[in-house]
Amino acid sequence: MNSPFRVIGKSFARLDARGKVSGKAVYGTDFAMQGMLHGKLIQSPIASGEILSIDIERAMAMPGVYAVVTAKDIPAQRYGSFVKDMEVFASQRVNFVGQPVAAVVARTVEEAEEAVRAVDIKYKELPGVFTTEEAIQAGAPLVHPAWQEYKAVPTVKRDGNVTNYARLVLGDVEKALKESDRVFTHRFVTNVVHPGYTEPRAAIAHWDDSNQLVVWSNTQLPFEAQATLAEIFKLTPSQVRVNLTVIGGGFGGKLRLGVEHYAAAAALKAGRPVKFVSSCEEEMTSALPRQPLTIELTTGVTNDGKILAKEASILVDTGATSGSGVGVASSVMLMLAGPYKIPNLRLESRSVYTNKTPTGSFRAPAGPQGNFAVESQMDIIADALNIDPLELRLRNIVREGDLAPNGQKLESVSLETCLLKAADAIGWKDRKPARGRGKGIACAWWTTTSGSSGVYVKLGPDGRVFLNTGCAEIGTAALTGAAQVLAEALGVELADIQIVSGDTASTPFDFGAQGSRTAFAVGNACLDAVTKLQQRMKEIAAKQFSAKPEDIEITTGGVKHGDKTLSLREIAAVAQASQGGLIAHGTFIAPPTLHDKERTENMVITAINSPSFHAHAVDLSVDEETGEIKIHDYVVVQDVGRAINPKYIEGQIEGGVVQGIGQALSEEIVYENGIVRNPGLTDYKMPTAMDAPNIRSFLIESPSKVGPYGAKGVGEPPVIHPPATIANAIAAAVSARVQTLPITAEKIVRTLAEVSTKAT
Amino acid sequence: MTEVQLDLTVNGRRHRVSVPAHHSLLDVLRDELELTGTKTNCLEAECGVCTVVVDGKSVASCTMLAAQCQGREVVTIEGLQDGGDLHPLQEAFVEHGAVQCGYCIPGMIMTAKAFLDENPRPTREAVREAIAGTLCRCTGYQKIVDAIMAASQRLVQQGERP
Repeated sequence: MNSPFRVIGKSFARLDARGKVSGKAVYGTDFAMQGMLHGKLIQSPIASGEILSIDIERAMAMPGVYAVVTAKDIPAQRYGSFVKDMEVFASQRVNFVGQPVAAVVARTVEEAEEAVRAVDIKYKELPGVFTTEEAIQAGAPLVHPAWQEYKAVPTVKRDGNVTNYARLVLGDVEKALKESDRVFTHRFVTNVVHPGYTEPRAAIAHWDDSNQLVVWSNTQLPFEAQATLAEIFKLTPSQVRVNLTVIGGGFGGKLRLGVEHYAAAAALKAGRPVKFVSSCEEEMTSALPRQPLTIELTTGVTNDGKILAKEASILVDTGATSGSGVGVASSVMLMLAGPYKIPNLRLESRSVYTNKTPTGSFRAPAGPQGNFAVESQMDIIADALNIDPLELRLRNIVREGDLAPNGQKLESVSLETCLLKAADAIGWKDRKPARGRGKGIACAWWTTTSGSSGVYVKLGPDGRVFLNTGCAEIGTAALTGAAQVLAEALGVELADIQIVSGDTASTPFDFGAQGSRTAFAVGNACLDAVTKLQQRMKEIAAKQFSAKPEDIEITTGGVKHGDKTLSLREIAAVAQASQGGLIAHGTFIAPPTLHDKERTENMVITAINSPSFHAHAVDLSVDEETGEIKIHDYVVVQDVGRAINPKYIEGQIEGGVVQGIGQALSEEIVYENGIVRNPGLTDYKMPTAMDAPNIRSFLIESPSKVGPYGAKGVGEPPVIHPPATIANAIAAAVSARVQTLPITAEKIVRTLAEVSTKAT
Repeated sequence: MTEVQLDLTVNGRRHRVSVPAHHSLLDVLRDELELTGTKTNCLEAECGVCTVVVDGKSVASCTMLAAQCQGREVVTIEGLQDGGDLHPLQEAFVEHGAVQCGYCIPGMIMTAKAFLDENPRPTREAVREAIAGTLCRCTGYQKIVDAIMAASQRLVQQGERP
């Protein structure tokens, strides 16, 4: 097929590949500064209690020690996304095991580690709550007794351990359930999983001679880090400069502050630059894992499989701070309704504190949890009604022009195509009843996060093009994708483009590398910059040719007027000689997604922006004796709107699926009374190359009206479906329906034993 | 703290260092020699990002004492390139989209280097087994396996392998 594009749709190598394969790329853990000291955290050993005293005297006398930093060294104020319930170091109470209480600064990491053991902290232990069910009981211990004093966004409705109570309501659920032929109620429980980036969170901070805080870090969001650090240290944002290092993965786990604030506090007290790198144990006990959810889901259907109503009660365990969990509690309701057309809905969710690790925004924050519930239940219903699971989905999915649960009109809906293609690829119709082997299917929609983007596109003196963005490259190659958009529109080669990224002082603002938005939003800002740049190019050429700007024609690699031409290099030379060079500020903000606010109560996320649609299918075997799973084939069909760089989109899909398989089968941070029992990679089992199957990806291009060349968000969706897809295949293979994640071999064997006990 | 005097050969170059006896090869590579291409993460030989080649075998440098490397040949990612030219493994990783965040890649490439030196014509399954000690969270491993398979063919064709 002939493509109308030169650069878009081609699998170029990423622009930063060479530095990464040669070992030259400088990551956060690699970065060093002259005069740098090292910091180590002192973490709470108890899940709930008061700090009685902190004695630093002995530690301060140890060799190499420069400072011990505590809450007293920081302006006392709390910060947070929706509810300001976080503090840098615990000031009076500790709320989870692993909570930072103080930090030691020393000449070497080893000296800091030794001094950590010499700081004497006394606690008074208090009762804690470790499950959401306990936490919402009347009279339960409060994780934050002073919760009423905390500032919060006006949307949220709080009460004690509940940080938001939100609802999504449509039609008359009671009536619809009465009119249903069958009503199904199930409970699904999901697991705490770590994003698992291979580079721990790392930062270096120093205070320069004008008392500006300068930070180098591997954050996903330099501008949010700037704003939060300014809030914590009572500075104006411009007094904080955040620079990016190369980033060893993020997956949402590096959206919020990681160790930047500890480094900043330590550097302030020690008077020298200080570096912090999270240890593996700190990552497992005090990073920002995915929220575990408990979902009670009721669905009313007709005998021919038409869904009449859904009702749900959702508890989101956010851990000791609310963090992004308030958002998860909202967006999960958009997942629980869809991607189906349902006339009656009554969904309610609560985000709840417990005395455990604060949670974050791991890739598709509510996606896998909601999808596991909805899509598992779809198969249970199909089985009960004796309808093919694919057919049950086709009878209920949204189609072009349908309304989403929030009342937004859905456009570019490709879900039927995705489902049929996935079914075809996995051989759905040919599946034979074979004990121990089964196929599963699941589908979903997902949003492309909005937020504004700015880029400076600058012509170098040799015609080389600099793409200057405030957005981070976290590994997805999305900035290479944005550069492809730029190269296509500007009429240059991808190799002519150089990306400059990540310095809050010199790059334009960007909402950042989150929510599948990078190539989408930065790419669109590039298109705007090209329009502006080409206008300037026409003006320059018009002067040179004594013509009118509107008569100048843009060509690939320059401009022309009649038979006179100017290359980009020549234009750049004129611009440098006459007007201080050529630079354009391109900007983008997605148009608001119109929807019915009447249907949502206290929801902090209410829309599905430029929705993408996708289906996964798997063919697997289950060993009934050991519970071991063997995946034979895994198929993903994803509507990406426009495949800007197919190879890296496949990379997102393959990586996301394997991450999803980890959540489905093997990963879980296990707590016992608030203590993490597996705080290392020996016992926290992420999939290895031996566990990962080969994955076949099929890209559907049903263009969005908003994205560059029709692109939709790509990065998050692949992690959503694996738990449900695999659960459905296991149930098809051995009639064991596991409703809690992860679906370990032990659980499969236990469920099989229960099934056979019932049968006899 | 007992210090040991070591004479280490890293990427063909001799280095004399004096380090505490309990320091790992990773400590010496990153902190003393400032070869930060070798990455640091779990420090318990589970993640594999610190993998280097010692006397032809891939090892997790985080759990190998520097003192154990006295008189042995250590090769890191910085020693793989021939001047400005990438090694065929590095080239294949670039071409096959095997690099995302890249943090596991030095360890992955060094693992593959030692493996291909002993197994010039591997199957995909054998490659998966060989790299199972190095975690990659971005790629799902598929394109890494593609890259190693492609590099193995190129190395055989170039006659660098029997």
